[in-house]
Amino acid sequence: MLLQTLIISAVIILGYVLAKWKKLSVELSLLVATLGGVIAGSAFKTPPFWEIPRHLVEGSFTYLDVILVFFTATLFITIIQESGGVNFAVRSAVVHFANFRFLSLFFLMIIVLIPGALTGAGSVSLLVVGAPVALALKGLGVSETKIPAILFILAGLAAAAPPVNIWAMILCAGTAIPYVGFELPLGIPVLILGMLTVIILGRRQPESGNLQTFLETIDCHPKMNWIRLLTPFVVFFSLIVAYRWFPFNFPILGLPLEFLIASLVALALSPVRINLIRVASNTVSKLLPLLAIMVIVGMLQQVMAATGVKGLISYGTLIIPLWLLFLLLPAIIPISEGILTYGGAAIIGIPLVWYLNSLGYHATIVIAGLSLLWPLGDGLPPTALIGRLSIMVSGYQDSYWRFLKQTWIPWLIITVTGMLMIIFSAKLRFLVIG
Amino acid sequence: MKKPTAGFKIIASLILAFILIAGGQPLLNHRNFKVEIVCGPGVTEIKKLSDFCQSLKGTEADTPVFILEGQQPGGQVLIMANTHANEPEGMISTLIIIENAVVEKGTLYIIPFFNRSARLNTRPGEGYPLYFSITTPWGMKKFPMGNRDASPLDQWPDPDVYIHYPEKQMLSYLDIRNTNRTWPGRKNGLPMEQVTWAAMELLKHKKVDLAIDLHGAETMYPVTNCIVAPEKAMRIATLASLTVKSMEGFENHVEPSPSSFRGLSHREIGDYSDTLPFLLEAPIPFLDQPTGPKTEKLLLDGRDDFLLNLAKKKKLFVPYDESGWSFDRRVGQHLSVSLEILRQYSKKNADKEIVVKNVPRHADLLKNGAGYFFKDPSEAEENKVIKL
Repeated sequence: MLLQTLIISAVIILGYVLAKWKKLSVELSLLVATLGGVIAGSAFKTPPFWEIPRHLVEGSFTYLDVILVFFTATLFITIIQESGGVNFAVRSAVVHFANFRFLSLFFLMIIVLIPGALTGAGSVSLLVVGAPVALALKGLGVSETKIPAILFILAGLAAAAPPVNIWAMILCAGTAIPYVGFELPLGIPVLILGMLTVIILGRRQPESGNLQTFLETIDCHPKMNWIRLLTPFVVFFSLIVAYRWFPFNFPILGLPLEFLIASLVALALSPVRINLIRVASNTVSKLLPLLAIMVIVGMLQQVMAATGVKGLISYGTLIIPLWLLFLLLPAIIPISEGILTYGGAAIIGIPLVWYLNSLGYHATIVIAGLSLLWPLGDGLPPTALIGRLSIMVSGYQDSYWRFLKQTWIPWLIITVTGMLMIIFSAKLRFLVIG
Repeated sequence: MKKPTAGFKIIASLILAFILIAGGQPLLNHRNFKVEIVCGPGVTEIKKLSDFCQSLKGTEADTPVFILEGQQPGGQVLIMANTHANEPEGMISTLIIIENAVVEKGTLYIIPFFNRSARLNTRPGEGYPLYFSITTPWGMKKFPMGNRDASPLDQWPDPDVYIHYPEKQMLSYLDIRNTNRTWPGRKNGLPMEQVTWAAMELLKHKKVDLAIDLHGAETMYPVTNCIVAPEKAMRIATLASLTVKSMEGFENHVEPSPSSFRGLSHREIGDYSDTLPFLLEAPIPFLDQPTGPKTEKLLLDGRDDFLLNLAKKKKLFVPYDESGWSFDRRVGQHLSVSLEILRQYSKKNADKEIVVKNVPRHADLLKNGAGYFFKDPSEAEENKVIKL
């Protein structure tokens, strides 16, 4: 069985490398790898050849809910942009906070953390507030290459922040550990690491343009004001908070519908007329590569499970000696996220938590520590979901790797923090309250 | 890169359409697939869960409740399976009871597809087979493999976080479709909350004494191969565990139901009714993450080389060797432990005795296989055959 799964793994990797060599896009290369894997698997009847279409179709639905959230959230922020709201917010924020630089950076950090903390998705942070925050950072003199790096790290921390942390929830659901007591083990490191990130990456760059020149480049519609700008956001966050306050009386709308309702409010309050069909169509075009990645990663995950490659990854992680495992976790966890997104938490995380728990490590702190490492993988290919979104919303034009290199110091600090939490989890159990 | 030509686009579209149809049709067939059950001599009535919660009527979440009432009065027992439809040994155990059991004293309420919507669902991203078949004396009998959660076609959208009723504990958003997180349920809640609410109504109205929820769990999961019970059911669970070990030779330890983890049957049934709840976990290697391909064979024989190596490194929570952990063994465990719980309860409560005959036990399953106990629907009286 080991040889069989190794052969199929090799075919998947080879398919991806050959497709990239032929200069196909990441999405098409992943599709080639998926098809290669499932065809190689069918040679061993895992799965049988006639079941290939079913696995591809079924797998393509794995991330349908995420895809809907991406589309509706992007539609929302595009309407805000087209209505002139983004320019207005940036201009106002930069003008008001220019003299209190750290305070303004801290304020922007909190703005990025809130949507992700409430929804568990860093992508929502970026899609809702990423673009205006990027412009605000530019106005504060942050280097253009560092802006997507700040957004990427903060969006990842937002996803890890309490109250909603999807990785922790997946692990809790899979390990039958209650999702309680995560407020301090997640909240404290997220706030400290967020502040360190904006301090390290948010330094004023001498080459960046001065404030006056920057403000002159931003056009503001004369009829745009705070009420027009904030009301759609207030509606959106009210819908999220309303379910938490009245969980048994308020209808469950789901994030896609909540974004759509907020979009309609933004449309109604826009001082300029916006063609909804055109904006929706442009949004789909803009998001197509990202949505395609989600569809194909779902297929790849299905194929990896049906062929045994997914099990091989999990097995490979568990047979490593403990000291080596701790050395490799900083690479294994982000890479699993880069390949499988949330699937990594299920495949590697669940058996890992059981294993460490049986050795006396404190499960809640271990999960919290792992939850800090997983978001880093959202910057790694092939998916690189948050990394790509960070680039998209900040309008960064340079190479992806140059952007990623900018993140190395906070990346290292987050990794060390997460690993120390895992290794010394038993001593940190006092953080678990509830 | 060159722009694709019209011819290329047409060919690509045709290939995509073919894959969609060829891949979508089996999924549609799976959702419409029916299992034929032959009602045995013990079945006296078939109700539906909607009889206890009107709003479930006509929905895909509504599910049959088989009633096996004895000649003499006695204790009342509810046995549920397919709470998680990807743990099918519980479902097979209940179907064997429905097709074979004769109740002399007391009443059994059997719900073989507790989360019926989950049985209509598949598990995207996990590569499961859509069906599994077991050998019977009259041919192969086919069953659907479902998902852990209800289908989004029957309950959607999900919230961004699930807040449990009435304890307000926050759980994963997916768990709002998991009927082992929605106990004790809500009358006006979402369909899965209505399912558990209806079951609670059944427990209360029929004054059910014992509720047994049949599950399966990974071999790498600490809470596996066990009976999970709250404080008030602990004594009976312990006696049942000790008895099956001494009399039938298999291990099935007892785990306490955690009081801080809400929504589970073994916690909420105990807290919100007079019924004594038990949740039975049989080890299913198929569900483990570090296994080879997710095939029907792995589901049925439970043999896996990766797990075998991990067992040698003492990383599993159950003894595991080359023989694996077969489907028949898991079904046998569920049946024996369930019967033992009934017997231990009857010993302590003579006025509520439950006597059930003709249900095979662990050794019978290992000897004959689960398929041996299924009747041929084509040979049965027409009014005895139910399509589920």
